[in-house]
Amino acid sequence: MAYPFTEDHDMIREAVRGWAQAWYDGGKGPERVYQSGTGFDLEAWQALSGELGMAGVAIKEEYGGAGLGDLGRVVVMEELGASLCSVPFQMAGGICTDILQKLGTASGKSMYLPRIASGQICPTYVEGLDAFSIKESSLSGVVSMNAYGNAASHFLISFQRDKKVSLGVVMAANPNIEVEQQKTLDPTRSLAKITFNNLSLDDVKVIGTTDRGRLQDIVDQSFIALAAECVGGAQKCLDITLEYAGQREQFDRPIASFQAYKHRCADMFIALEEARSATYAAAIARPDDKTEAALIAKVVAADAYFKIAGDAIQLHGGIGFTWEYPLHFFFKRARANRSIFGSTSRGYNKIADRIFGNAA
Amino acid sequence: MSGLIDKFDTWMAENFCGEFESLRGRATPGDEDIMPELRFAWERKMGEAGWVGVGWPKEHGGKGASLEELVAFNEVYARHGGPGRNGHIGETLFAPTLIAYGTDAQKAKYLPGIKNGTELWCQGYSEPNAGSDLSNIKTKARLDGDEWVVDGQKIWTSLAMDADYVFVIARAEEGTVGRHGLVFLLMKLDQAGIDIRPIKQISETAEFNEVFFDSARCHKDDMIGGVGDGWKIAMALLGFERGASTLGQQMTFTNEFESIVKLAKENGAAHDPTIRQRIAKAYCGLKVMRMTALRTLEAAHHGELSREGYMSKIYWATWHRDLGELAMDVMGPDAELLKDGEYGMLHKLFLFSRSDTIYGGTNQIQRNIIAERALGMPKEPRGKPK
Repeated sequence: MAYPFTEDHDMIREAVRGWAQAWYDGGKGPERVYQSGTGFDLEAWQALSGELGMAGVAIKEEYGGAGLGDLGRVVVMEELGASLCSVPFQMAGGICTDILQKLGTASGKSMYLPRIASGQICPTYVEGLDAFSIKESSLSGVVSMNAYGNAASHFLISFQRDKKVSLGVVMAANPNIEVEQQKTLDPTRSLAKITFNNLSLDDVKVIGTTDRGRLQDIVDQSFIALAAECVGGAQKCLDITLEYAGQREQFDRPIASFQAYKHRCADMFIALEEARSATYAAAIARPDDKTEAALIAKVVAADAYFKIAGDAIQLHGGIGFTWEYPLHFFFKRARANRSIFGSTSRGYNKIADRIFGNAA
Repeated sequence: MSGLIDKFDTWMAENFCGEFESLRGRATPGDEDIMPELRFAWERKMGEAGWVGVGWPKEHGGKGASLEELVAFNEVYARHGGPGRNGHIGETLFAPTLIAYGTDAQKAKYLPGIKNGTELWCQGYSEPNAGSDLSNIKTKARLDGDEWVVDGQKIWTSLAMDADYVFVIARAEEGTVGRHGLVFLLMKLDQAGIDIRPIKQISETAEFNEVFFDSARCHKDDMIGGVGDGWKIAMALLGFERGASTLGQQMTFTNEFESIVKLAKENGAAHDPTIRQRIAKAYCGLKVMRMTALRTLEAAHHGELSREGYMSKIYWATWHRDLGELAMDVMGPDAELLKDGEYGMLHKLFLFSRSDTIYGGTNQIQRNIIAERALGMPKEPRGKPK
């Protein structure tokens, strides 16, 4: 067990790793998701949330979760990232869990958290602060690029009403909600356009009220899970490259023995460990520092993953460019993670805003 | 946080003032040859109050501070603007090595001087032909009765001009090559057989030196380990360099970073979008270094050498060199003018940081080390020893 993890974390890592590696099965895992055209693997999600019981890894024990916090979620996301296993964990077990646990009312928590933990329901978060308009008591608006929207049983929505930010849960199957899966550059992550068409607020179970700043903090903090996915994927790209470099021979030597090759791998390692440090630092950050640490983790890890996935293709030569070889899936996921939940350059801007205060 | 840190915080507030005020934020790399007398006095003041060696075990005169306490200790020091410490080589590199490998008599002889801040150390490793290929040591040591007699030359010896002692790796066994036959000797610098010549650097300052040994002497008991153990001890010391000493460095980096942010706010560079992004990236790097050091040190605490430890040198060196370039770009065209007729702090940072990616193992050597040790890739082919 390595800092900052405990034996409990090591146990879940072992369980998820074994399962996720079996799923990956030599590159066929992501290919199957691609073939399905749905952008996620429903069976895999049922197994992870049901048999393995991982949906509630960060949910407190009193609500039926494992109570392992951000670090527990980091472990699960690293292993999912390494296998490219596409499941809505970071929505249900990530951001929705955080909003409920940190901003939800007592009744909201007890109504939804145990059902998320058991895998019974799978909410995704739909931010509607600026997208929704409310007329009388019905809500309308369109939200694009909702991660795993087509996998959701419920939507946890935020909307502005009477100068307050309200949080509510609505069934995805509501006749006034239309979910349309979007075509994506990364075929192994589903994004959906969700249209709310005069949704009656009577159908929305309000689970809390908050303000924009507080909600934004929670949303930003959920980036830690995405950063962990980047770390897992980047580690896998480096592992695949090192294995290939030891086997492939040119000029009667393994290509791993050439200094140009070694130095590029060393740079990949540095970027990987940089991402790992930023991610783990965010997971253990004190509440006051967590938002900033999460913003840092997101940009550092997304940059590292993209660099490493690109380098992995380069260091494989021609074969890395083929569809059959799995690297393109990692490369596309890395690209997606740079923009999902806010682009990398926007992330650096937010960090700069914090450094400079009102100076700029 | 513990009472120890609160006490130190109070002590800094009450003691880092008066005559020491002029050292605030100074004596960082590139600025390390300033005001030596005042810095000796500061080191002694820290020592007298028991603030040198807080991380050493209690039985050796330390306070047995935990890792968290050491981190906080360094952060408190930085927050008060404490200057670069001219005792850091003794405190964070040599002393842990001595505690791990020295005899009781050696510990009794050398630890108190470091702890009291009265005796400063420097590191005699590199030679003109033993740089990246460090094991190519030519400096010779031979026994003459009860004394080792040393002949040869060391170079790039940091702070030798201010130090009282040097630890030296030298070749004791005639005919040996590479890592074999080396000894690790502790030598007084103030003796007829040793000549120290400062090297004027691109920063106009001179914290690096050449040290010439011409029948220089030390007692035969001033050897750590036995004949042939020199390489092992020298590498153990570098292990400490990777770990604890990075905590002290963190404070310097934080202060430098903050002075750049302050300047950017003052001169308007803070409005430049590319400058803002680079400053944000530098800030991320600071946070990454802190966590990487914690991970490495926690592993070391459990007796493990963690893989990420291999990246700390190249990471901080590259980060710091980039910070120097950023500092110049934040200054803008003003960077070309020497306001007080000499290099300012940021000029020194910019110029001196070019050495960061060279000394202590160049970035190229660091990449070899990472590839071979952390990633298990094949070793570099070597030429035949001459």
